[in-house]
Amino acid sequence: MKDQISALMDDEISLKDAEYLYTALKANGESRECWQTYHLIGDAMRQSPVLKAGLRDRIMQQIEMEPAVLAPRNEDVAVANATRKTSLVWSVAASFAAVMFVGLIVLQQQPQQTEEIMPLEIAQHFPAEYLQAHQSLAPSSAAYYIQSAAFSENSR
Amino acid sequence: MKKWLLACFLASHFSFAWAEPVTQAEPWRMLEKAAHAARDLSYKGIFTYQSGENSRSIEITHMNSGQGEYSRVVMLDGLPREVLSQGSDIVIFSQRNEKIVIEKRRGKNLFPALLPVNLDAVKLSYQARVSGQERIAGREGVVVLLEARDAYRYSYKLLTDKEYGLLLKVTTLNEGKEAIEHIAFNQLNLLNINDMNWFKPKVDPMKPYVMEDEMPASVASGNGEWKLGDLPSGYKLIDHIKRKVPGKSVAVNQLIFSDGLSSVSLFIEPLAKGARPRVGHTMAGPTNFYAQVSSGYQIVAVGEVPQAAVLHIANSVNFKK
Repeated sequence: MKDQISALMDDEISLKDAEYLYTALKANGESRECWQTYHLIGDAMRQSPVLKAGLRDRIMQQIEMEPAVLAPRNEDVAVANATRKTSLVWSVAASFAAVMFVGLIVLQQQPQQTEEIMPLEIAQHFPAEYLQAHQSLAPSSAAYYIQSAAFSENSR
Repeated sequence: MKKWLLACFLASHFSFAWAEPVTQAEPWRMLEKAAHAARDLSYKGIFTYQSGENSRSIEITHMNSGQGEYSRVVMLDGLPREVLSQGSDIVIFSQRNEKIVIEKRRGKNLFPALLPVNLDAVKLSYQARVSGQERIAGREGVVVLLEARDAYRYSYKLLTDKEYGLLLKVTTLNEGKEAIEHIAFNQLNLLNINDMNWFKPKVDPMKPYVMEDEMPASVASGNGEWKLGDLPSGYKLIDHIKRKVPGKSVAVNQLIFSDGLSSVSLFIEPLAKGARPRVGHTMAGPTNFYAQVSSGYQIVAVGEVPQAAVLHIANSVNFKK
């Protein structure tokens, strides 16, 4: 292969006749890798974390394990209202858990919904692959050599 | 008396000949000469491309000694990149990530051969007039203004070599007549050579060369799902291919429109399930992009044209209900 390249350098084979050399050189092309990486990232971004099973149970468990926050300071009042207070603490904890739970569901679902409904603004996500495809086939363009080169440097 | 009449006749004839064709035919004749000169002459020079903050110097060697066109274009700034062409076959060598990627392309009108040889289509969409003289790269040139007849294309200020006709400088002007892109020779010499020693890429033996994976493309014909409505005036469909793109299960339609000078690509593809559609407008240098979704299809229009043109072309796709 190296010999052939140097032959190409030394003009022993003309560029036109070196077609087979290109074919021989053809391996895992860069452009395909770029595309695949691009889509790989795209797919990864799209995968929102799934709502894991048993989340609610784990939240409840966590709350149960937590020490009572409102520890009674005044013994007199505390003893008298012990039962009522404990249930109050628990109802607060329960509603807190409920809010947390709803909040988590909303948080989990939001990105999924956003991604399915909200389109990508090309002003923020530059459609480089479309520019490349355009430049490769457009019949004339002053920016032809320059833009694609600048683009490939940027996208490294 | 006879002499005086003759003088009169000659003078009037001369002034008529000067008044009419000079303003009408002359600029077009100069542009035609520029189109031919870029393809028929042998020359070597360095030109600079500039758009916004993007500026690059490029060396061109072009030879035509009656056996067809050969050219070698070398990017002097940034990553190494070379474009070798023979007739309408183009091979591009570009360095990417420590590799040299080889791409093959078909004929293009690239500076200084930016103008097509047949200017009929261009005449419909632009008007030309001579507007002064300028000197650049040690050459005297005549300025020809190519003004867009509507808002669907840019205007161009072209400087053609007084002697050889070759295009010396092109300035792209936007709708507000502001310069948005320059491409101009800094140095230019005519060549009188016959050997082909120069016609080869500079090879770096330390780097692997890989052939660009050609994405399978086929010439597409009619389509049952959609059809094109009114296009901006002057634009014609010149190519329609279907290309398979890695990562996408369905082939993408690419339609190319041209007014003879400016071109727009229109991409139409069924929106894959779960894929995020692209919408909106953006631009990079003189290139405008417009994306939208219609009837489950992603539509993207890209071109070195004003926003109005990409918008209009993207909206020209009608779906059959």
